[in-house]
Amino acid sequence: MDSFSSSPYNASGSKLSQEDIIDQVKTQLAQAYAEEFLETVRGKCFDKCITKPSSSLGGSESSCISRCVERYIEATGIIGRALFNQH
Amino acid sequence: MDSSALNSTELQNFLNEEKQKAMVNEMIGKLTSVCWDKCITGTPGSKFSSSETSCLTHCAQRYMDMSLLIMKRLQQ
Repeated sequence: MDSFSSSPYNASGSKLSQEDIIDQVKTQLAQAYAEEFLETVRGKCFDKCITKPSSSLGGSESSCISRCVERYIEATGIIGRALFNQH
Repeated sequence: MDSSALNSTELQNFLNEEKQKAMVNEMIGKLTSVCWDKCITGTPGSKFSSSETSCLTHCAQRYMDMSLLIMKRLQQ
């Protein structure tokens, strides 16, 4: 997350309002979260589905990856709910 | 509005709130990664089995129990 500007000006030199700063921070945070999530999913699904890399991505590898991404998103939801619906 | 808006309480509150959200997100991310490795042992299917679902839930809950226990131990 090294793209935060330290100077409160936009590209054309006008001062940014607090609202602008808040919007920029929200956007950059959302992008950072998304990129981190993607990186994790790539790692997990490569491990599970590409066991013997060959000269192209096979049909079963592709469907495995699809299912893996769906399952990982589902797992994230299950963990989130488990943490916030305490026993 | 001038650049002193950067020091306002509203901005501070927003940043604190986002910091909390980031910590929560990180916890969920880490736990999902750890619990996925523990619980999803085979090739991913078109849905989770009930044992996989329970495992994931239990994993998160036991991790939090453990975390609490560790803190108690360290305070003794």
